Amino acid sequence: MSLDDKDIIAEFVVESREHLADIENELLAIEACGENIDGDLVNKVFRAVHSIKGAAGFFGFSQVQGLAHELENVLNLIRNRKLVPTSPVTDVLLRAADRLRGMIEDVEHSNDVDVSEHVAELRAVAAGEPAFAPPTVAELTSSEHEEAPDPERQLQVVENLVARAATEGATAGPAPAAVPRPASSAAAPREAGTAEAAPRESKSSAPSPLGETSIRVAVNILDRLMTLAGELVLARNQLLQTASTADSSAWGAVVARVNQVTSELQETIMQTRLQPIGAVFSRFPRVIRDLSSALGKQCQLTIEGQEVELDKSIIEAIGDPLTHLVRNAVDHGIEAPEARVKAGKPPAGTVALRAFHQAGKVSIQIHDDGRGIDAARLKEKAVAQGILTPEQARAMSDREALLLIFRPGLSTADKVTSVSGRGVGMDVVKTNIERLGGTVAVDTQLGRGTTIDVRLPLTLAIVPALIVRCCGQRYAIPQANIRELVRVKSRDAAKSFERIQGAEVFHLRETLLPLVRLDAALDRGEPRDAPAAKALNIIVVEAGSLRYGLVVEGLCDSEEIVVKPLGRHMKRCACLAGATILGDGKVALILDIAGIASHMRLAMPETESAADASGSGALGETQSLLLFTNHPSEYFGIPMELVARLERVRTDQIDRLGGQQILQYRGGTLPLFSLEDGVECKARPQASKVYVAVFATAEREAGLIVPEIIDIRSVPTRVDTETFRQPGITGSLVFERMTVRLVDLHELARKLRPDWYQSRSAVPTPNGAAPRILVAEDSDFFRKQLIGFFAAEGYEVQAAEDGAAAWDLLADPANRFDAVVTDIEMPNLTGLELARRIRGDARFADLPIIAVTSLAGDDDIRRGLQAGINEYHVKLDREQLMAATARLLKASLPRAASRSKP
Amino acid sequence: MTAGLVAASPRQRNHLEMATFALGEDRMGIPIDQVDEIHHPLDLTPVPHAPPCVRGVMNLRGEVVTVIDPRVILGYPPAVVTRQTCNMVVRWGGERVGLLVDRIGDVVSVGREGIEPPPANVAQTLGRFLRGVCKLDTGVLAILDVEQLLALDEEAVAPRNSAVAASAKAGPS
Repeated sequence: MSLDDKDIIAEFVVESREHLADIENELLAIEACGENIDGDLVNKVFRAVHSIKGAAGFFGFSQVQGLAHELENVLNLIRNRKLVPTSPVTDVLLRAADRLRGMIEDVEHSNDVDVSEHVAELRAVAAGEPAFAPPTVAELTSSEHEEAPDPERQLQVVENLVARAATEGATAGPAPAAVPRPASSAAAPREAGTAEAAPRESKSSAPSPLGETSIRVAVNILDRLMTLAGELVLARNQLLQTASTADSSAWGAVVARVNQVTSELQETIMQTRLQPIGAVFSRFPRVIRDLSSALGKQCQLTIEGQEVELDKSIIEAIGDPLTHLVRNAVDHGIEAPEARVKAGKPPAGTVALRAFHQAGKVSIQIHDDGRGIDAARLKEKAVAQGILTPEQARAMSDREALLLIFRPGLSTADKVTSVSGRGVGMDVVKTNIERLGGTVAVDTQLGRGTTIDVRLPLTLAIVPALIVRCCGQRYAIPQANIRELVRVKSRDAAKSFERIQGAEVFHLRETLLPLVRLDAALDRGEPRDAPAAKALNIIVVEAGSLRYGLVVEGLCDSEEIVVKPLGRHMKRCACLAGATILGDGKVALILDIAGIASHMRLAMPETESAADASGSGALGETQSLLLFTNHPSEYFGIPMELVARLERVRTDQIDRLGGQQILQYRGGTLPLFSLEDGVECKARPQASKVYVAVFATAEREAGLIVPEIIDIRSVPTRVDTETFRQPGITGSLVFERMTVRLVDLHELARKLRPDWYQSRSAVPTPNGAAPRILVAEDSDFFRKQLIGFFAAEGYEVQAAEDGAAAWDLLADPANRFDAVVTDIEMPNLTGLELARRIRGDARFADLPIIAVTSLAGDDDIRRGLQAGINEYHVKLDREQLMAATARLLKASLPRAASRSKP
Repeated sequence: MTAGLVAASPRQRNHLEMATFALGEDRMGIPIDQVDEIHHPLDLTPVPHAPPCVRGVMNLRGEVVTVIDPRVILGYPPAVVTRQTCNMVVRWGGERVGLLVDRIGDVVSVGREGIEPPPANVAQTLGRFLRGVCKLDTGVLAILDVEQLLALDEEAVAPRNSAVAASAKAGPS
């Protein structure tokens, strides 16, 4: 074939494609009309097929010609009202049109295609075979005629017919979008017959688009225009830069004019690339129709906002993800008709597609009124697949659980149908949408339905950005990702920056944001652990649902940048979204905010707080803490229960003797400790007066110098026992934006005055083994503390998370415990109930039970003693607790031994 | 400075015209129809997490072009940029990529029949990057296979930072 032939055939293919572009929706619309055949519409399809037939004949594409001919026949019968386009008829027509389209795509081999099946079907339709006749309507009316003309029944018949027409009309879907002609910026949607049930249309009916003037332009010419516009933008930026430094008097007006024209030109050219999203939506009526019938469901589709425009490249890329979401809605969302009716819903489900502009982005919503997403089942599956631990699942809210649908491999479908599960998961959908700079969110109501919300930027190629400096290079951050700019001065940095569970965070008003240092993220420059001496620039950025602070060295300008792709060698650079050329000709890399987050393994804020909660104190447990500072910048806390008294003393009353501090106090001397002597912290400043927190330890009294008391507050005990752990500090918690380190008075005293403490070890049982202690405590933190106390003294410890679990351990004959240490407030079985059960069992009549609690009013103690508890002790008063345990065991072990002797 | 590349004589079917250059001690050649232009290296912007062979990207009249150090791919120590270093921009599947070469040589016309497979010792180390070798008066010329050189197999593209590789692998293809 000569070169000319190739060109002409290419033309033929393009034209045929255009003819066939809308044939699907037109056939569906024809089906919807049923008997009320819309002559214009059928004519249009007829003419399209006729043209293809003619041209195909000219080129010798005989199979195409043959198939088109049969199609033409059937369409001819329809337009002459000799054939009603029922669903079976439309099925045949659709299949034939599909095949025709496929042949056009590979037209050079189309003569090898076997179309005999389609031809046979089309001929059968044309011959008026009964399978294709509309049976139900005839049957319905004829059966009604056979019975007595009862007004009631006739009304019923009419109602049925109207209902059928309504559902059938709606099933076919509303107006399809117009052919996306490249050079037109707005397309007029075409009318779809008289489908009266068709819901809200965006534009009113406008018949054939013959009046529209448009021109076909090759896409690569548009791309070139876009590139040139981009270059002009860069040149304009350069000009602005130069003009700002030069004497601008003469330049001023000219530069302003160039600036304005460039902006307008850029906008206009961008518009040429804008296409209505209807181009993508138009495939969905067919998708829904086929899917519904394959799954035995009834679904109607409503479409709103077909005229909303998006950049061509986004339109091209969004089709597959949207298709997947729509298929999901039908497959997993909409229930079978019987189930729907049982639930009081209409038998036909509705999938609503809606596109609209919002806050500079385009929103596409896919809503179904189906069964909704069951968060509990999602969590179950996640745990079953090992994606979550049971604790994480418990701590996760339903809203967080919804996001699980985006994890690879997670599907709550009972079975993988042939429809869903072709390897395109929600995780791929989300990633593809995010690649386009978009976000996807899910909202659901169990039993009522689900809405998926996709947000997309308007254009890819030219974006406003902030240029920042880091390690001698400049980087661009798309404005769309930027929420706020924060500048933190050095003196505030220490207060605002914290380390929580190993990661840096910073206080932004009422929230804690994860912090990412850009130099660390990009592996450039030295990682710094402490905030730098100068002020720091933090950019609060957002990608999807994740928000964090990005620390950079400095800020440059805001600019409109032209996004250039990076070469294929950089396809694995998750932190980069592309590159741009700055006004001075240098290349700046564009940061991928979502990519940086995943590179730095930033947990989502929700799961972070869940982890926070699960690893530490039980929710709701509070402690009365004395909050104070040693050095003004560092916060500490002591449990008030351990504080016997607070005294205010003059510092000149404090003596130093042999390296120790003592205070003349109440006729004797009180040893004093300064926090900085035992714990890594800043020294207290000079002051004339300080407080002293007096506490009991090792059977004597001592005092901790408390320079400045902040408050005494009931504080939720969510203690991080990892980050600040050292002898004298049990852990830390965050309270009202302060990071508070909890002081362990006993440990501190033991460290500074080891001579006070006899080395005490557990009283051994008569057979020489270490005594076994059962600890019942639901708070993770306190449980760990108690286990630690006992283990340190040589006891064997086993712990239970609540009273019921403790009882199970105790009652198990395989276990033997010598004492029980229990909390009072616990789920499933409280400490009091546990004590009663223990005492009620003859085996344990003599078992020492110590209650550790924060509630210890007289009434509580009385009740406890009645229940069988031996002693009450305050949580975290280690000395008292250890002493009491030793004492009780000393008495009970010999008795237990003598009882067990045969 | 852009060196003009004008073929001295019309291309003949049994000759291969090559732009030659030096990588260290080795003389190499690339078919001239794959070479777009040659110039002195311009400012390079380093790219974090890029494969080790990527020296950076540059602005080539508005296009952001990746600049590769072929020495790293071939297993030699990285190039040291001198006054003789040149950037040879080649076409690679729709993309333009710059190759840093130590010295630029002449355009050489080689008869196809003179092209032999690389000798065993060379084939072992460089074999897959070479289309062949040929003997010139001035010595042996190794003919580079640009496709192979720039091919993005898993190891070649694995970025320095394994966390990125791990997270990239976890993502979609």
